Amino acid sequence: MMNKEMLEDLFLQVQKPARYTGGELNSVAKDLADVAVRFAFCFPDLYEVGMSHLGMKILYAQFNNEPDVWCERVFSPDTDMEALMRKHHIPLFGLESRDPIREFDFIGFTVQYELCYTAMLNMLDLAGVPLRAADRDESFPLVVAGGPCVCNPEPIADFVDIFFLGEGEEVDLEVINLYKEHKKKGYSKKAFLRACADIEGVYIPSLYEPSYNEDGTIKAVEPLDGVKPTVRKRIIRDLNTCYYPEYFVVPYTDIVHDRAMSEIFRGCIRGCRFCQAGFIYRPVREKSVDTIDKQSHDLCRSTGYEEFSLSSLSTSDYTKLEELLDRLLDWAEKEHTNISLPSLRVDGFSDELVNRLNVLRRAGLTFAPEAGTQRLRDAINKNLTEEEILDTAAKAFRGGWTAVKLYFMMGLPTETMEDIEGMAVLGQKIVNCFYANPDKPKGKGVMVNMSASCFVPKPFTPFQWEPQTTMQELEEKQKHLVESVHTKKISLSWHDAKTSFLEAVLARGDRRLCRVLELAHERGFNLDAWSEHFNFDAWMEIFREIGLDPAFYANRTRPYDEVFPWDHLDYGVTKKFLISENKKAHEAVATPHCRQACSGCGAACWKEGVCVENR
Amino acid sequence: MLRTVRVVFSKTGRARFISHLDLVRTMTRVVRRAEIPLWYTEGFNRHPYLTFAAPLSLGFEGLRESMDLRLEEDMPYDELVARLNTALPEGFEAISAAEAVHKVGALTAARYRLRFDCPPEKITALLAQPEILVEKRTKKKTMKTLDIRPAFADAQVSAYGEGTKVTVTLPVGNDTVNPSLLLQALGATSDEEYHLRVLRLDLLTADGKSFC
Repeated sequence: MMNKEMLEDLFLQVQKPARYTGGELNSVAKDLADVAVRFAFCFPDLYEVGMSHLGMKILYAQFNNEPDVWCERVFSPDTDMEALMRKHHIPLFGLESRDPIREFDFIGFTVQYELCYTAMLNMLDLAGVPLRAADRDESFPLVVAGGPCVCNPEPIADFVDIFFLGEGEEVDLEVINLYKEHKKKGYSKKAFLRACADIEGVYIPSLYEPSYNEDGTIKAVEPLDGVKPTVRKRIIRDLNTCYYPEYFVVPYTDIVHDRAMSEIFRGCIRGCRFCQAGFIYRPVREKSVDTIDKQSHDLCRSTGYEEFSLSSLSTSDYTKLEELLDRLLDWAEKEHTNISLPSLRVDGFSDELVNRLNVLRRAGLTFAPEAGTQRLRDAINKNLTEEEILDTAAKAFRGGWTAVKLYFMMGLPTETMEDIEGMAVLGQKIVNCFYANPDKPKGKGVMVNMSASCFVPKPFTPFQWEPQTTMQELEEKQKHLVESVHTKKISLSWHDAKTSFLEAVLARGDRRLCRVLELAHERGFNLDAWSEHFNFDAWMEIFREIGLDPAFYANRTRPYDEVFPWDHLDYGVTKKFLISENKKAHEAVATPHCRQACSGCGAACWKEGVCVENR
Repeated sequence: MLRTVRVVFSKTGRARFISHLDLVRTMTRVVRRAEIPLWYTEGFNRHPYLTFAAPLSLGFEGLRESMDLRLEEDMPYDELVARLNTALPEGFEAISAAEAVHKVGALTAARYRLRFDCPPEKITALLAQPEILVEKRTKKKTMKTLDIRPAFADAQVSAYGEGTKVTVTLPVGNDTVNPSLLLQALGATSDEEYHLRVLRLDLLTADGKSFC
């Protein structure tokens, strides 16, 4: 046991100690006498980031809804806190009990971003748990993981005992319940993992063995011990009856998204070809207006939050959005509660609704055209036309608005310098649109903020065969964009190509990268998602030492018949469909969205949501 | 008719790690959660009226802290306190509520109980010096030298287990003396690292009576 008195002394020596104290409003404390399973829900990033994550809030409340399960939150400590913990031999602890998570039954990670892998390993190390699953016997907690990154979990496969593919609400509890049964009848880790492997949505990496061709590509992945050859992700069939928390833990300290969140649907009808979320969360399933109304109101009441947001991949695609907003505004206005709508198309809204929502006042106007020309937008299947952007901008400028944000990606497949210039041209058109308004506010200029990230090809997208544009080429494109902008009314910012390169390596990597990550951890890499901690040259040094070429993973064009490290995982969307989408991208042909026509992606195998709607 | 209600509350245990800025945000949500009919300011950016008489430093505990609320409609004080207590997180307790008698400016001092993990002789020796000079950061972020000896003139020092207990009344307001300055002075006289736990017992007006 650690000295809890000493821990409190440490709190006074670090920045923002409220990140480590626990005891926040609605956090769950249980009597250990009633608890059969202790679960450490770990988010491999700082408290401010992790506490903003909806998935963690859902599962935290759902696990704790089980009388004999106690789920606690664990975040990566910031560097000052970590230094003190290491100095005073304080192991990583759960925020609720302050007990070391080494004593728990499960250590669960949600992996949202590839650059969080080092933080994940560092947290295991701080907990006093061996990194490799093979080095952990029955006396250690089971290490489990879920989240979007586990659709290709191979780069972290050696560290994790159990992966959960797809949506966690059902499968996580099935595994916890099986664990309870096994604990009763004499527990062996090996027997338990083998039994878990038969549950749909559960991937036990130690029971699948990859072999490689001489050129470094995957030859085959062999299932061991008679386990299923492919693992299919789980989905929740009916979101209206699925568990949704009536409370969130309300942090004391400021976090990134400090508000209640109401999930309104899962999946996305759009099928933008670069977007992994748009494919791995299919099919689209909506919650009813009644359900959302009740869940939102319950959450606001239990948290006291003065703001809540509607969460989904594309909120304007909710079929009854106006009806929903009317219902929500009925109580929200009375209770001084704001509704926040991220990434919304306001072009279809009435002026009255825009006014009531205060959408523009608070959020400003944001577009994600992603590409600079219509040709490239068709190639990536981004269904947003220049006309729509300019119409909406004009409407906002007439309402007195003076700032617009534009999000682009660089290095998209088929992109040319003409497409790069197209970004600047679009920005200029928006500037012109502002000055074309006869009623523009006097003495005020317009500001168009353009941000360009670097495209990272991801598994389970039509671009999973594509090479990432090299760092050198990306830097040339960034330079060209700067030279294409001829006005001070446009401000430019872009992402670091080096971070995106490592992200691309890890996203489509195989199990041999586990050694890279292990070495990165040994050299003290941590929190690489934060630029101040990211050391690119040191990463490249590790690849050289181990003898792996990062460009093999990031910049190589894959043939359609190549076996991928994630081919034994099944997210519903078929490879055949992804290949046809890839071909259409090269012809700059768009694909209609799910409500216009079914394109036969494969997600209809669940016979749910948009796949069975009347069109 | 809008009335200002003054709520007395305690902030102890885990709650002592909540900074003043975070306290404002937390209490706004607590009051909303308790469904207390808070009055919102008019205008473009409406916000609830909720203020604190004297910020408490991070890490300090307080037994009788003061929070002013402005209500849109009347509510019996007992009910208000009961509702707050159902909504407050661990470490907080609402003690009483009443109409605000004093203006916030009437608060001029606070009574503290300090616990040091050093022997009482150390503190007694320190306080016996003719002057105790410490460096204090001013609002303009410059440093100035301050003699805290007068502020601690009637401090009562006694043994407390292995350590020392000091009870003292210190000025609050324009010439606030933070009790941690005594720890700073102690540190300057010794190589050992000592710790201080601060409990603010009460907020006082100029005549030495309770502010709330």
